[in-house]
Amino acid sequence: MMAAWRDLPVVRPGDGRVTLIGLLLLLLGWEALARSLADTYLLAGPVQILRYLMEERALMARALTATLGNALAGFVIGNLAAILLAAVALVWPRSQRIVTGVALVVFCLPLVATGPILRVIFGPGDGPQIVLAALAVYYTTLIPLLVGLRAAPSGWLDLIQSYGRGRLATLVHVRLRVSLPYLFAGLQIAAPAALLGAMVGEFTGAERGLGVLTVRAMRGLEVEMTWALATVATLVAVLAYLGIGGLARMVLRDAPPILLAPPRASLPFGTGALRRLGSAAGVLMAVLVLWWGGIAALGLNPFFAKGPQDVLATLITDSDAAATRSLLAQAMAETLILLLPGYLAGLAVGAGCAVLFSLMTVVAGVVMPLAIALRSVPIVTTAPLVVLLLGRGATGTITLVAIMVFFPTLVACLHGLRQAPGQVMDVFDSYGASSMQRLIRVRIPAMLPALFAAARMAVPAAVLAVTVVEWLATGLGIGTLMARAASVSDYNLLWSVVALVATLSALGYAAVGAVETRVLRRYAPEQLA
Amino acid sequence: MAADRTPPPRIVCAGLAKTWEGGLAALRPTNLTFEAGQTTALVGPSGCGKSTLLRMIAGLETPSAGTVLIDGQPPAQLLRAAGLSVAFQDPSLLPWRTVRGNIELALSLARRPVDRQAIDDLIAMVGLAGFADTRPAELSGGMRQRAAIARALATEPRLLLLDEPFGAVDEITRQQLAEDLPGLWEARGTTTILVTHSVTEAVMLSDRVIVLSPRPAEVVADIAIPLPRPRFAQDARSAEFGQLADQVVAALSLGRARHDGPLAAQ
Repeated sequence: MMAAWRDLPVVRPGDGRVTLIGLLLLLLGWEALARSLADTYLLAGPVQILRYLMEERALMARALTATLGNALAGFVIGNLAAILLAAVALVWPRSQRIVTGVALVVFCLPLVATGPILRVIFGPGDGPQIVLAALAVYYTTLIPLLVGLRAAPSGWLDLIQSYGRGRLATLVHVRLRVSLPYLFAGLQIAAPAALLGAMVGEFTGAERGLGVLTVRAMRGLEVEMTWALATVATLVAVLAYLGIGGLARMVLRDAPPILLAPPRASLPFGTGALRRLGSAAGVLMAVLVLWWGGIAALGLNPFFAKGPQDVLATLITDSDAAATRSLLAQAMAETLILLLPGYLAGLAVGAGCAVLFSLMTVVAGVVMPLAIALRSVPIVTTAPLVVLLLGRGATGTITLVAIMVFFPTLVACLHGLRQAPGQVMDVFDSYGASSMQRLIRVRIPAMLPALFAAARMAVPAAVLAVTVVEWLATGLGIGTLMARAASVSDYNLLWSVVALVATLSALGYAAVGAVETRVLRRYAPEQLA
Repeated sequence: MAADRTPPPRIVCAGLAKTWEGGLAALRPTNLTFEAGQTTALVGPSGCGKSTLLRMIAGLETPSAGTVLIDGQPPAQLLRAAGLSVAFQDPSLLPWRTVRGNIELALSLARRPVDRQAIDDLIAMVGLAGFADTRPAELSGGMRQRAAIARALATEPRLLLLDEPFGAVDEITRQQLAEDLPGLWEARGTTTILVTHSVTEAVMLSDRVIVLSPRPAEVVADIAIPLPRPRFAQDARSAEFGQLADQVVAALSLGRARHDGPLAAQ
């Protein structure tokens, strides 16, 4: 049994028969379930979806073309921005904390609110979709790229230096090439994320695209259409993910590393409390300057472009500030009560399933590639399905958040469980330890770093999921508050919510990161070096 | 191969010392002179600071105290003129370049012209004929080290630093290299400093063996090796060779005893 575990081949996405069998089983089960639930009007099976897609292929093709175009534009812009930011951090290492900090805050902006704001700035057209797609991708490219640019073994750097050459030669001959696999890993995650960004942008009132049809299908309770759209979005996301993987294999002659969650940007300077406080203040300053300066530089209409001073007035100094604050607090409470259980459930079920599958080698072989493929699905675009199946109540919301967190956690933990060092396992074998003892004492500790990396990245993802469901379906919480503020043009309130949500998500991310650091110090000190 | 050769440099270390951040001493203040054109071996137990000394001479590490002067200039001068080559303990070959590609990179970093035939000759000399277009991942550990040696020689350095370059090379090849290499750097006029664990290798290759104590390193013995060149593998069985090797071994144990002495007394 032990040997079987260790002999488990490293399964890569797109890796052959096992995946195919898993996929076939999934399709068969889906079709069977759909047929048995035929009269409930909840679930459309693969055959039904295929028939619908054939009938409506012109409509679907038009929508898909529009969405793909925007996603592609956002993908290119977002990744170029990431590369540019990485270059800044490389040229000027002291700026790295500020760059990554500001990047995180911007990444945490709730797309649900930035969408409508961008809509009034850009007017009708593709602008908001492209910007949201770019916003959805740049962070997950920036962080691995920063890690990659610093990942060269010191011997290679010594070599360049021993021939009397400097930083430029090191960059050209070593760093750029070393960072390529990391860049591709980032791009691979970015491809489905760009699709997600574009679709959320379309939710905010575009003229055409998959997102527009999704909203229409949901409003009209069109079951077949909802399922068909979710299937198309899923397929396109998985294909984009696999396509970039294939491109990477061609360029690198090797599969890119499977990035479970963007690694921590290792910072070249100490991590003392004072320094951390200093860089937090620096990030805050930089965000405020960018916010205020951006509005001034672009000459945006002060009616809808609110600066930090307006938000401060809305929340503190205005005559009705107290009322605003209690409105926000109430909405936030409604959201958190669903967000936290969903987040924790997603983590727990993801880690639990990983442990369970690890005990059943064959299952792990089938599940891993499927989970990797499904992890790339922009879950939010399937939000309408969850609402359809589970209703507009708490269960639906909690489930969607949990699913959003579940897949990345599962993949990361399965991978983490494999990291259990073989020699340590041999020592346990030599003492005749039971498989439960091995699990508790070796494998689960080895899994912890991966679990926490997933937990960190899951924070913004969970916030995105909960706000989208609230906005599209439940009529509760912060997501709905943002939608309502946008629809009545209360931009003071809208910007206040954006500032609050972005701050809280970034703080949540930092808090999980702090716990992660403590865990890593004990279980994987080499990752903190 | 060489056209206009500047003579090999003389290296003077004065009061050279290294203490790591956190107070761990790697090298006690040391005065050492490496004569122009000579081959000197630095021998000592693992972790004694030999590599640190080598890296400071190469200008890759900043001394905590004292100076390194190469022909009266700081190491940076020689680095800038690309007159230095290091064969590192870890071969440090770029995995995406072939053996030839790695050597060509070194030549271009050192701003030297790329001579295909010369590269092929070097590759053959280190016993890698037929592997010029192979990537490092497909080579054994010993083959990679030999590729790194070929790369270090390719730029015809005035100062050649070898940091345990034969660690993973098999015994037969190692003997062959020990016979071939000194002739090459002698012909070119190279000052060579070799860090090694192997007493036989040190005596075989060098004009002089410096024995260092366990960390923090200090010089225990400075032994001249007046054996005639060229030297061959079977020379290691001569009485004279044995005597010199015994001297080195004795100095190594002396260094260990001096180091352990104060601890044993506690």
